[in-house]
Amino acid sequence: MSWSWDHFMQFLFSPYMLNGVWTTIWLSIVAMVIGCSLGVMLAFMKMSKTWALRQIANTYIWVWRGTPLLVQMVIIYTVLPKVGIKLGVVESAIIALSLHEAAYFAEIVRSGITSVNKGQEDASLALGMTWPQRMRYVIIPQATRVIIPPLGNQFNLMIKTTSLASVISMEELFRRTQQLAQLEFKVLEAYMCAACWYLLMTTVWGLIQQRLEAHYDRPFGPVADTDPKKKPDPVLTGQAAQV
Amino acid sequence: MSNMETQVLPVAKAGPRDLGPPIVEVRNVEKRFGKVTVLKDVSLTVRTGEVVVIAGRSGSGKSTLLRCIDHLETIEGGSIIACGENMGYRQDNSGKRVQLGDRKVAKQRRQMGMVFQSFNLFPHLNVLRNITLAPVRIMGEDPKEAEAHAHALLTRVGLPDRADAYPSQLSGGQQQRVAIARALAMRPQVMLFDEPTSALDPEMISEVLDVMIDLSRQGMTMIVVTHEMGFARAAADRVLMMADGMIVEEAPPEEFFTNPQNEHSKLFLSKIL
Repeated sequence: MSWSWDHFMQFLFSPYMLNGVWTTIWLSIVAMVIGCSLGVMLAFMKMSKTWALRQIANTYIWVWRGTPLLVQMVIIYTVLPKVGIKLGVVESAIIALSLHEAAYFAEIVRSGITSVNKGQEDASLALGMTWPQRMRYVIIPQATRVIIPPLGNQFNLMIKTTSLASVISMEELFRRTQQLAQLEFKVLEAYMCAACWYLLMTTVWGLIQQRLEAHYDRPFGPVADTDPKKKPDPVLTGQAAQV
Repeated sequence: MSNMETQVLPVAKAGPRDLGPPIVEVRNVEKRFGKVTVLKDVSLTVRTGEVVVIAGRSGSGKSTLLRCIDHLETIEGGSIIACGENMGYRQDNSGKRVQLGDRKVAKQRRQMGMVFQSFNLFPHLNVLRNITLAPVRIMGEDPKEAEAHAHALLTRVGLPDRADAYPSQLSGGQQQRVAIARALAMRPQVMLFDEPTSALDPEMISEVLDVMIDLSRQGMTMIVVTHEMGFARAAADRVLMMADGMIVEEAPPEEFFTNPQNEHSKLFLSKIL
């Protein structure tokens, strides 16, 4: 088997492949957004005072973290139609990926919230805040700093995990690579292409994640920035919120 | 310690003052953490304008009592009436005690201010926003008025020019004074202090106590858990001694310091003075 640069370059920028790349990108984003929203909900259920809500969340997390995504995906796509729930490929992929993500993100959110100092809860209670007020003004702004880094890692994983959707014939990057490889038996070239694209996507995300983490990692308040002539940030001083 | 007292707390209170009607009534309160009973049949009445100091060794239940008054802890028996409200509970038709919901309790707490040992300022907000957050977001006060009030309070606690600073940029003593201003911004009827100077370096204690003494002179009702007997001498109407979850002695400061009756009080004073 000989390496063919021609084929490699041809695959790399072929519209067929680029289309798969795009599918992988939007699939990751959609699954991540839905998964995180569900995850936040699960996290609050898990921390609820109501026994039933806690048990539902615990069971959900137990099942979805305890079984392979591949199995979940195949079940959603092939077994659910037999009980009357018919879903297309795209819907099945989105549902499987986001429900799976939710189980992991729930734990991340929960640990972020519990990481906020207990004294913050005391102080906001003593000021007469209700639960939504405590969450919104005090707890979540502080928990976000803890949640952001693992959230970034989850998205990195998500980009790569979408390749599993190929088993239910979702036309994303991996499946298109398989097909290109079979077309001309240029297996190595095709998969090297896929590797390059995945690497590019995760690298770009890595750079974004670095900036996000740098932003959330700096201490609260303008520590290095003590120039008195500089106008205070309206968001930080709260003037923006009051306009 | 004694040197500081003479410096900052020179004036002893001149006799008993005119006090208003009862504003906090603790009636036969029982509190348990699991199997450990931390408050045993505790009763206490605090009148409007009164300054009560609660002393005692750690583990005597004094902080727990204070937290129960603000319903930061549930109670297993008895009741606490504060500012006309049965804190945290109501009686149902059959006379059984029922816990109030989050919103109801939140409303009750707005009548009292609380200051904690560890300051608990909101680290993500600057000093001004720490103070105005609750008045604006919870009480719906006009932001401009709330800010003006906050600036006035900052002046009162001796920090007129730190409105834009973040908690991390302040010393412990400054943070605690901001915490006092934050509590005062809600215009509370009663102020609760939970060991407000215990986490401070010695040189910062007096700046916080000065603010508290000033507050007491302006007629604020205060319940103060503290080891600072200098403060008790300068500002308290009454000193309570707690031991093993009970109030074992209760006396005006002069009497408490010169002629303690209870063994716990004698031991406590011998160690602290």
